[in-house]
Amino acid sequence: MPQQTRDKHRLAGLSQGLLALGLLLLWCLLWGSFTPLTIITGILVSTGVSFTFYLPGVELSGRVNPWRVIVFFVVLAWDILRASIQIAWLAFAPNFKPGNAIVGIPLNTRSDLIMSWTSTAISIVPGSIVVDLDRSGSILYVHVIDVHSEEDIQRFIQEVLDTERRLVLAIGSKAEVVRVNEQHALARGRKNR
Amino acid sequence: MATILTIFLIVSVATPFLARFLKNHVFTVVALVPAGAFIWTLLQGEQIRTHGEITETIRWVPQLDLALAFRMDTLAWLLALVVTGVGTVVLLYCTQYFTKREPGLGRFAAFLFAFAGTMFGLVTADDILLMFMFWEITSVLSYLLIGHYTGKKESRGAALQALLVTTFGGLVMLIGVIMISVQVGSTSLSAIVAAGVTGPMAVTAILLIIVGAISKSAIVPFHFWLPAAMAAPTPVSAYLHAAAMVKAGIYLIARLAPGYADLPGWKLVLIGLGVWTMLVGAWRSLRQYDLKLVLAYGTVSQLGFLMVIVGFGTPDAALAGAALLLAHAIYKSTLFLVVGIIDHAAGTRDWRQLSGLGRKMPVLAVITALAIASMAGIPPLLGFVAKESIFGAFLQAAEAGDPYGWIALIGTAVGSILTVAYSARFFWGAFATRTAACVSTEWHKPPTAILIGPGVLAVVSVLLGIFSPALNAWLDPYPESFDGHLEGHLALWHGFEPALFISIAILGLGAALFWKKTQVARLQEALPPLVDSSRGYWSVTRAVDKISAKVTIFGQRGGLPQYLATILVVFVLVLGTLAAIGNVWPTTFRLYDYPQQVVIALVMALATLGAAWTRKRMAAVLLVGVTGFGMVALFAFHGAPDLALTQALVETITIVAFVLVLRRLPGNSQKLTKRVHRGRRAVIAIGTGVVMGAIALIALGSRITDPISAQLPEMAYYEGHGKNVVNVALVDIRAWDTMGEISVLVVVATGIASLLFVSGRADKKGRRGLRRPATALGRRSVLSDPDIQPATPGARQSWLVSGGKIASANRSILLEVLVRLMFHPAIVVSIFLLFVGHNSPGGGFAGGLLAGLALVFRYLAGGRYELREAVPIDAGKLLGAGLVLAVGSAIGSLFFGSEILSSAYLSADIPVLGYISIGTTTIFDIGVYLVVVGLVLDILRSLGGEVDRQQDEADIAEESTDEFSPRQQVPNTDLWATQRVPIVPDTPSATDTREDNR
Repeated sequence: MPQQTRDKHRLAGLSQGLLALGLLLLWCLLWGSFTPLTIITGILVSTGVSFTFYLPGVELSGRVNPWRVIVFFVVLAWDILRASIQIAWLAFAPNFKPGNAIVGIPLNTRSDLIMSWTSTAISIVPGSIVVDLDRSGSILYVHVIDVHSEEDIQRFIQEVLDTERRLVLAIGSKAEVVRVNEQHALARGRKNR
Repeated sequence: MATILTIFLIVSVATPFLARFLKNHVFTVVALVPAGAFIWTLLQGEQIRTHGEITETIRWVPQLDLALAFRMDTLAWLLALVVTGVGTVVLLYCTQYFTKREPGLGRFAAFLFAFAGTMFGLVTADDILLMFMFWEITSVLSYLLIGHYTGKKESRGAALQALLVTTFGGLVMLIGVIMISVQVGSTSLSAIVAAGVTGPMAVTAILLIIVGAISKSAIVPFHFWLPAAMAAPTPVSAYLHAAAMVKAGIYLIARLAPGYADLPGWKLVLIGLGVWTMLVGAWRSLRQYDLKLVLAYGTVSQLGFLMVIVGFGTPDAALAGAALLLAHAIYKSTLFLVVGIIDHAAGTRDWRQLSGLGRKMPVLAVITALAIASMAGIPPLLGFVAKESIFGAFLQAAEAGDPYGWIALIGTAVGSILTVAYSARFFWGAFATRTAACVSTEWHKPPTAILIGPGVLAVVSVLLGIFSPALNAWLDPYPESFDGHLEGHLALWHGFEPALFISIAILGLGAALFWKKTQVARLQEALPPLVDSSRGYWSVTRAVDKISAKVTIFGQRGGLPQYLATILVVFVLVLGTLAAIGNVWPTTFRLYDYPQQVVIALVMALATLGAAWTRKRMAAVLLVGVTGFGMVALFAFHGAPDLALTQALVETITIVAFVLVLRRLPGNSQKLTKRVHRGRRAVIAIGTGVVMGAIALIALGSRITDPISAQLPEMAYYEGHGKNVVNVALVDIRAWDTMGEISVLVVVATGIASLLFVSGRADKKGRRGLRRPATALGRRSVLSDPDIQPATPGARQSWLVSGGKIASANRSILLEVLVRLMFHPAIVVSIFLLFVGHNSPGGGFAGGLLAGLALVFRYLAGGRYELREAVPIDAGKLLGAGLVLAVGSAIGSLFFGSEILSSAYLSADIPVLGYISIGTTTIFDIGVYLVVVGLVLDILRSLGGEVDRQQDEADIAEESTDEFSPRQQVPNTDLWATQRVPIVPDTPSATDTREDNR
C-alpha cells in the first residue's frame, strides 16, 4: 500500500474516532451527567450509530489553535450582536433606502470544511446570507442588505475574508494558514498603498 | 373441542410454510389433524350415547355474554364425524389431485384445512353467536376456495356470487339470531332450542334464520350459486358443496327443528321450498352434459330433499333425516371425487366426449356404481335405507292427517324418480361405451392411490347400509329430543310396507325415464325454464353497480376543492346551526391568558390570510407552516414543552412532505377566473373559521365536571413510573389510542407507498450492488469526490456516501458538509429523546420524528441513492417491526396473567452502573419510534426518491427524442435544464478503483 493511501486511512480512522468521541460527549451532555451508566451507554450508542449509519471519513486539517478558536467565536458573537442592532435600526429607520446586492466573493481556502463553516458564520449574522457557492473556485455568492456603494461592497468582502481568515487560523491546515496570511498581507499592502 | 380447534388454527397458519417444503404432500401431513379429530369424535360416541352430550365452556367476552361454549350431542357428533371424516379423505385425495407445480398450493391447502376446522367449530359451537362467527368464516373461506383459480374470470365471479349470496343470508340470519337470543335471554343454542319460544317475534326471528340457512344450503331461490361454484377445484366441490358447507344450513334447521318445527310458517317455507328445490334441481340436472354440473344440480336437488326431511319435525323424520344427511355426504363426495379423477385423466368433464371409460377403469366404475346406487336408493346401500325411512315418516304423518305429509311424500317421490333418472344418466354418461362419440377418449392413467379416497367412502356406504340397524342406537337420541314417540328405525328390510312399494315404483319409473332419455331431452327443450334466480341475481348486482357508479359520479367529481367544500359546508351548516340554536354560550370568557398570545395569534392570522392570498404554492405552504410554528409558540408559552417539541417536528416534516409533492406541480396555483368562485370560497372559509372558533369557545366553556386530567400527573408518577405526563399518557394510560394511531400511520405509509410504487415498496434491483463494500475501509475511509478531477490540485473529498450521484448543478456542498457533520448527532439526540421521554420532554414520537428529519436532510443533500445507503432496509420492514414491538409489548402482558397493555417495571441497582429502571412501556415506545421513522422513510422513498426516478426517466425520454421533433427546435432558455447532466449510473466499485489507482 502506498504511503499516501496508508496515511489517508490512518487519518480517516482518526477522524471517525474523533467524531465518535464527540457523539459520546453529546450523549453525556444530554443526560447531564458523566456517570459510568451514561458513559457505557454512550459508547454503545455512539459506536452503534456510527457503524449502522456509516458515512465517509472527514479529512481534518490536523491542527487546532484554541486561542484562535476563542477569538473566532468572540468576534462572531460580536458580529451577530452588532448586525442585529443594525437590522433592527434599519427596520425602523425613517429614511431607509433599500440597497441590496449579491456579491461573489472568491475565498482563499481550498477546503470544503472551512468554506462551509465560513458560509454558515456569514449566514447566521443577520443581514447577509449565502445564496450559492461555487465549490471548484471557492466562490461564495452572498446576499447582503444595506449596501449603497462600491466601498460598502469592498468593506463587506473584506469582512467575509476576515471571517475566513479567523476560521483558518483556528482550525485550518498549515498550508491554508500560509496561503491566507499571504493574501491578507497582500490585501493590506494594497490598502496601505 | 377447543383444543382441536386450536390445533386447527395453528396448523392452518403453518400450512403455507409447510407447503414450501412438502409441496403437494402437505395435504397428507395436515390430513392427520382431521383424522385425529375424527377418531377423537368417534371415541366420544359412547359417552354421548349414554350421557346425551359433552360440553366445554371458556369465558371470552363476558360483557356480551359471549363464551367459547361447545357442546357435542348426537346431531353435532354425527356432523362432526362427517366433517372430519370426509375432510380427511378429501385432503388425502388432494395429495394426488394436485401436482407439485400447482400455483397457490400452500394458500389453497391452508384454506381447505382451515375450512375443515371451521366446520368442526360450527357444528360443535353451543353459543349461537359463536356458531354464527364460524358460519361467516365458512362463507369467506368458501369465497377464497372457489376463487382458487384467480386468473379465471368465471372463477372469481362464481366466488363473489357465492360470497354475496351466503353473506346476504348470513346478515339476515344475524338479525334473527340476535332477536331469538334476546327473546330467550340466552345465546346458548341448546337453551334456545329447549325454550321453544313462540309469538310473532319468535316467528320473525326463526324465519330470518331460515333465510340464512337456505341461502347457505342453496335452496330455491338462492340455489344458483352452487352450480356456479363448480368453477372451484374438484376437492373443494367434494368437500364444501357436498359434505360440509351446504350442510351447515341443513344442520341449523335440524338443530332448531326440535323446538321450532311447529311455529307457523316453518313447515310451509321449508317443505314448500324444499320440494320445489328438489324438483328444480333434479330437472336441471337431467339436462346437463358436464358431469360436475349434473352433480351440482343433483346436490341442489338433494339439499332440497334434506331440507324437507329435517324440517319436517317428527321423530321419525328426524331419524330418517340424520340417515339421509350421512348417506348424502358420503355418496355425493364420492361422486365429486370421481368426477375429479375423470376430469384429470380424460381432460374433459363433458360426457359427450367420453367413451369407454368403464372398460379402462373398472375399479373407478365400481366405486361410482356404489355411490350412484346409494344416491338412487338401491338396496343394500345407506341411501336406500334412508329413503325407506323417509317415505315411512311421511306416510306416517300423512296417515295422521297432516297435509304436509302428503305434499312432502308426493313431492319427494317425484323428485326421487328424477334422481334415479339423472343418477343412471350420470353413470351411463361417464362410463358407457358409445358409438356416437367419434373416438375413444384419450386416457392418462391416474395414480392408483387417488382411488383410495372414493373407494373408502363407497365401501363405508355399503357397510353402513348393510349394518344400518346398528346405527339406530347411536342416532336415536336426536329424534328422541322431539315431541312424540319414535316408531321407525333404520333397517334394510322393514317387511312389505307401503314405503317399499314406493321405492320400487320410483326405481321403475326412474329407469323408464332414463330409457326414454331422448324424448325427455326433447320435452325439456320445449319447456321454458320456470325459475331463473341467477338472472335475478345478475340484474340486482348490475343495478347496484349502476347506482353506485352514479352516486360516485355525483359525489366525487374528481376535484379536490369540491370535496373540501362539501365537507366544510356540511360542517358549517350542521355544527353552526347547532351552535346557534343550542344556546350554550359561556357566560364569561377571558380574552387572553397572557399578552404574548395576542401577538402570536396576530402572526398566525396574518400568515393564514397570506396563505389564502398568495398564488405561489411554495409560499402558501410556508405560510401555513408559520401557523403551525405559531402553535409551537403557544404550546411552549403554555408550559407544554413536550407538545411544543412534537408540534415543531411534525410541522417541519409536514412542510418537507408538502415541498416534495409540490415540486412536481407548477409553481403558481391555478388562477380562479370567476369572481364568483373566489367569493364563494371566501364565504366557506370564513364560515368554517367562525364556526370552529365558536365551537372552541363553547367547548371550553361547557365543562361542568372536574377534568380527569387533574389526576393524570399523579397516575403517571405512581403507576406509570414517569414524570412526563404526556409520554406516560401516550405509552401507558391511553396506550390503546396510541396503538390505533400507529396502526393508522402504518396504513397511511403503505397507502402513500402504494400510490407511487407500482410493484413493491422499494425498487429492489441493484440495492445490494449500491451498498458500499462491507469493509470498514470501503465504508468509512475518506472518499474522493467523483465530480472533481482527482489530478487537479484542488482535489476534494466526498462528504456523503453517494454525494456524487446527483448532477453537479443540483448539488449543494454546504448542505453535504453540514449533513455529514450533523447526521450522527441528530440520530444520537433522537435516541436520547426516545429514552428520556418517560421523564422529560421527548418520547418515541418526537425521537422518531427527529430521526426522520435527519433522514430528510440526508435525502435533500444526497438524493435517493444517499437515502438508500443511509437506511438499507425498506420502510415496510421498519413499520412492521415497530408494530410488532408495540403489539408484542401490549400482548406480552397477557402471558404474565395481567390485562392487555398493562405495563411492568423492572428496576435494580446494578453495581458500577447505578440505578436502572426499565418498563415494558419503553419497548412500546421503541415500537412507536420505529413506526414514525418508517413513515418518514416511506414518504421520502415514495414522494422523494420514486418521484425523482420517474422524473429522471421522463427527462431521459425527453432528451432521447430525435432532432426533428418540434420540442428540440425551441431554444431552451432554462439554464438549469441545459446544465442538467443525465445521470450515468456510476457504480461504486468504479469510484473505489479510481481512488485506489491514485
